[in-house]
Amino acid sequence: MIEIDTNSEKILSISNLTMRYGATNVLTGVDLDVYKGQIIGYIGPNGAGKSTTVKIMLGLVDGYHGNVEIFGQDISNGDNSYKQRIGYVPENAEVYDNLTASEYLTFTGQLYGMDESEAEYKAIRLVEKFGLGDVYHTRISAYSKGMRQKVLIIASLLHDPDLIFLDEPLSGLDANSVMIIKEILAQLAAEGKTIFYSSHIMDVVEKISNRIVLLADGKIIADGSFEELKQKNKEGTLEEIFNELTGFDQHKQIAEEVVSIVKEVGNNA
Amino acid sequence: MRNFLSLRILDRFQFIFRFLGIEYEMMRKILAMKLTMDQRRVPTIFNQSKNKETGNQFFKSLGLYALYGLILIPFIVMGDHYVFQMSIVFGISMFILMTSMISDFSTVLLDVRDKAILDTKPVKKKTISASKIVHVSIYMIQLTGAFALIPIIVSIFVKGILFGLIFILEIILIGLFIVVLTALVYIFILRFFNGERLKDIINYVQILLSVGIAVGYQVLIRSFEFVDLDVTFHFQWWHIFIPPMWYGAPFELILNQNGSKAIILFSILALIVPLISIFIYALLVPSFERNLQKLLNNSGDNKKKKLRVDRFWQKVMCRTKEERTFYLFAIRMMKQEREFKLKVYPLLGMSFIFPFIFVANFLSMESFGDLSNTKMYLTIYFINIIIPSIVHMVKFSGKYKGAWIYRATPIQDQASIYRATLKAFLVKLYFPVFFVTSIVFVSIHSFTIILDLAVVLAVAFLHTIISYKALNNELYPFSQSFAFAQETNVANNILMMIIGGVFAGIHFIASVIPFGLYGYLVILIVVNLVLWQKGFRTS
Repeated sequence: MIEIDTNSEKILSISNLTMRYGATNVLTGVDLDVYKGQIIGYIGPNGAGKSTTVKIMLGLVDGYHGNVEIFGQDISNGDNSYKQRIGYVPENAEVYDNLTASEYLTFTGQLYGMDESEAEYKAIRLVEKFGLGDVYHTRISAYSKGMRQKVLIIASLLHDPDLIFLDEPLSGLDANSVMIIKEILAQLAAEGKTIFYSSHIMDVVEKISNRIVLLADGKIIADGSFEELKQKNKEGTLEEIFNELTGFDQHKQIAEEVVSIVKEVGNNA
Repeated sequence: MRNFLSLRILDRFQFIFRFLGIEYEMMRKILAMKLTMDQRRVPTIFNQSKNKETGNQFFKSLGLYALYGLILIPFIVMGDHYVFQMSIVFGISMFILMTSMISDFSTVLLDVRDKAILDTKPVKKKTISASKIVHVSIYMIQLTGAFALIPIIVSIFVKGILFGLIFILEIILIGLFIVVLTALVYIFILRFFNGERLKDIINYVQILLSVGIAVGYQVLIRSFEFVDLDVTFHFQWWHIFIPPMWYGAPFELILNQNGSKAIILFSILALIVPLISIFIYALLVPSFERNLQKLLNNSGDNKKKKLRVDRFWQKVMCRTKEERTFYLFAIRMMKQEREFKLKVYPLLGMSFIFPFIFVANFLSMESFGDLSNTKMYLTIYFINIIIPSIVHMVKFSGKYKGAWIYRATPIQDQASIYRATLKAFLVKLYFPVFFVTSIVFVSIHSFTIILDLAVVLAVAFLHTIISYKALNNELYPFSQSFAFAQETNVANNILMMIIGGVFAGIHFIASVIPFGLYGYLVILIVVNLVLWQKGFRTS
């Protein structure tokens, strides 16, 4: 595990971030500082506000309160040039899939300020590395889920960003591709890139993150390296720590109840 | 789930389904689910917080169909040349019903989700197919009902019960015929093609059909000779290929006691063809279901497209790098997004036909020589009528969820997004229609009208930017679900179309003033330059 070096450059700083959708408080006060080279595993139960936090930082969602600074710049100041240095893989692989990978990648590359030829040259080689070379000019709509995911990952890295937001990036990928991505993330972090990784797959988060941030009910309830969390909570795996911190210890009981309800169908018939 | 009226009516006829070996209870549940889905609309990503309009969009649209239906009334009450009048009535009906069927209900016929959701359950294949047909039929009945109810009532009062009865019977036959015909066309295509290609072909057929029916309707009118409203009907062999004429025939046969061979033949066709097509459909449905699988089959070409022409225009039309990026993106979306094409290309096709309809109308009365001396070329303004509709459509896409990239990326000049998209619309969609029509008019009127055409082109640019200001509200292009495409400011849309007419009027006035057109063109160019520069407010 890499030690958190708080002396290095502060990439991201959130203070007292709150957000409401109508009557529901999604975020109730998030404070977080992220430093260069960290891989943040951003975890939490469904509906805890993980995606909302990420979307706020990307400027996809307006109407939050509090202060969000990225690369030392307040993102609400109207200057969106900070996005130049950000890469993003959205959840659910949302993409204009009537375009081909070639068209989509050069388009997004250009939106990040690259030249078309530069984007094209880089994209085609990355696509080859991910094994998509023979479908490069095929519409993304004909891709499998894993292939779409790879396109989105390439799109997020094409412009060599310094801060990368990944929302469940491994979904649909086969075991070999997962290994490649994990290794890529580790090497990018070693190069000084900062990675913000949200996922529900605890053993992946446990392995790749050097800092884990656990969000529940709209605020951070745990923050530290896996080792630190383990010491505090006296539990073996991140999954168990997650269960304990979110106050969840009834999985056995619920499972038993579910099974007994499932079995009822036979009785009625 | 609501207990739908249509299903309660269906309950009365459940014995038929049971007799056919269909699990009625299952079918009813599937239908209830489908009807509930029809009523709900997909929320859009950026509009979540804004006013969520509740209410059934579909029933509101039925009101619109009732309004369309009023068009039929004059043709019904006009006189007693039934073949003529009723052919027009049924021509219009078939046009409206078929286009709605294709544009709104193809997704039901071609729904592949059914495979994963329903086929995996212990429900008979037959039941699933039946529920599909009943679902489409319910839609068709509601649509036809809304459309034809008022004309039917009027016809009973004006023409008597017998007329009304024939009308009702025939409109039912037509409804059946259209549902089955649409399905048959899909069956035919599905047999021979594959995957992505197939989706493209269906898309083109949908577009072609929509335009084709519009043209067919014109042919229908032209197959009669107008002489002081004294319409004479001469049977010609090709009339047999115009289905609306079949349906005009029974009125002539029964009410006018016209027993000529052609009339009898047509009347028989009117009755028999829908029944035969149902039979063929029932025969082909199993292979249809099998071939539907092809829609899930992921395969496509892997060839890089050369865009020499697009690249040329990209450089001509766009100044900044950002604008060029969005220009190419918009071009590709317009070329490759099927749902967008399905909504927009038929509009283009019809606008293309309009000027020629007027020319043809003129030629049927006057000579070609007279034509070149008129200002008939001004009918080219009919092309501009579609500008507001398409500018309005540009903010929608079937793939709207990809629109997060607009906000996640560091776009410097937000104005360039829309400026580029509108330019792409003008070059990719408007120019082809405009230039082809222009060539035709130049060949009729000689090169003296080049100045006029330049004015029309300048007006098109102006019309586009004005429509954008009136209709688009700073929404990103291709960022909204088509589910919202209907609930828009109809008043503004109509106003924008009227503006098209106003432009034509100004053009006419300018053309009678000496050097008026030169002055007008200069003014247009200046206004365009200013508006295209400053018109895109950015926040």
